[in-house]
Amino acid sequence: MATQVQTAVKSDVLVSTSWVAEHLTDPKVRIVEVDVDTKAYSEGHIPGAIGWDWGKQLCDTLRRDIIPKAKFEQLMGQSGISNDTTVILYGDNNNWFAAWAFWQLKIYGHPDVRLMDGGRKKWLAESRDLNQESPKVAPATYRAKDPDFSIRAFLPLVQDASSKKSADLVDVRSPQEFTGEILAPPGLPETCQRGGHVPGAKNIPWAKACNEDGTFKSAEDLKSLYGGVGVTGQKPVIAYCRIGERSSHTWFVLKYLLGYKDVKNYDGSWTEWGNLVAAPVEKP
Amino acid sequence: MKAEEYKEQKEQLSGWPVRIVSYKLGNIYHVSINNEEPGAWIVKGEGPSLAEAEAKARKEAAEALAKVKKNPPPTGCTSVPGF
Repeated sequence: MATQVQTAVKSDVLVSTSWVAEHLTDPKVRIVEVDVDTKAYSEGHIPGAIGWDWGKQLCDTLRRDIIPKAKFEQLMGQSGISNDTTVILYGDNNNWFAAWAFWQLKIYGHPDVRLMDGGRKKWLAESRDLNQESPKVAPATYRAKDPDFSIRAFLPLVQDASSKKSADLVDVRSPQEFTGEILAPPGLPETCQRGGHVPGAKNIPWAKACNEDGTFKSAEDLKSLYGGVGVTGQKPVIAYCRIGERSSHTWFVLKYLLGYKDVKNYDGSWTEWGNLVAAPVEKP
Repeated sequence: MKAEEYKEQKEQLSGWPVRIVSYKLGNIYHVSINNEEPGAWIVKGEGPSLAEAEAKARKEAAEALAKVKKNPPPTGCTSVPGF
């Protein structure tokens, strides 16, 4: 079988906190904070950064879905982002929802989007400048491409992957969620009726891809982490978690840091599968 | 403005491993309590002193974590109160 692994160039998709500090006023760059905790931005953010609320601005607020194309264009335009802007995303929880935003920007074909390695945590820990003012942004015109669903998995594909072993399923939740001991991360709302995992999935918690300071591990370590359990990129890969944000972090790692060609994020995730009537569930 | 006195510490709270993150922004101390695994933020507290902010966050986190249900009933059981 021909290998699907391609060489990833980290600098194309990752920038350091130092790089960001040197580009705070670069007119070609727009820095955007996207947090799990939507109040964090107003406490203090990177000077010049704008904030996106994932629950209101990166989701369809009527049905469960990503933001529709027209609203995406509107969001980008009002954020002062043109098609040729370099977008730098960062956020809390080691870039959980920053990665979710990255994934959506790629769905709509934005060419140059990068994560700040280490996210908000590293910026704070390094005692770098923060402010509380929302910058005045000159609106821009943005034209999104038609959505690229080659990086998004819907339920039928996941069912196929599970029953026919046509793709490696990577469950990035905690081991206790994977085994069904708990239904959600401790302290967070339970969003499913049943615990367990999609039959055939391998459990590789998302955080194993990160160092203590929030930065991503080296390509060598990542290769060993995923390759060690047989997720090598030789087969398509589908990552999932509870609602799709942790798995977008793993999707980023597999697709861009390891260069696996066919990686999809299943944003329906366990919230969808764990509520399906008669769906098979595996509990070790 | 810069974050000062940034600190992370790990410990058990209501039987769950957590990571307590604290820092000072301006005159306000911010404390967040996160699950060690998977890293999710649980609660935040703030106050004019670290002790006050941390006490507030610890209290709310302990309450939230104490409500976590383990080992839900087996598949097929839908009549258990609270499930």
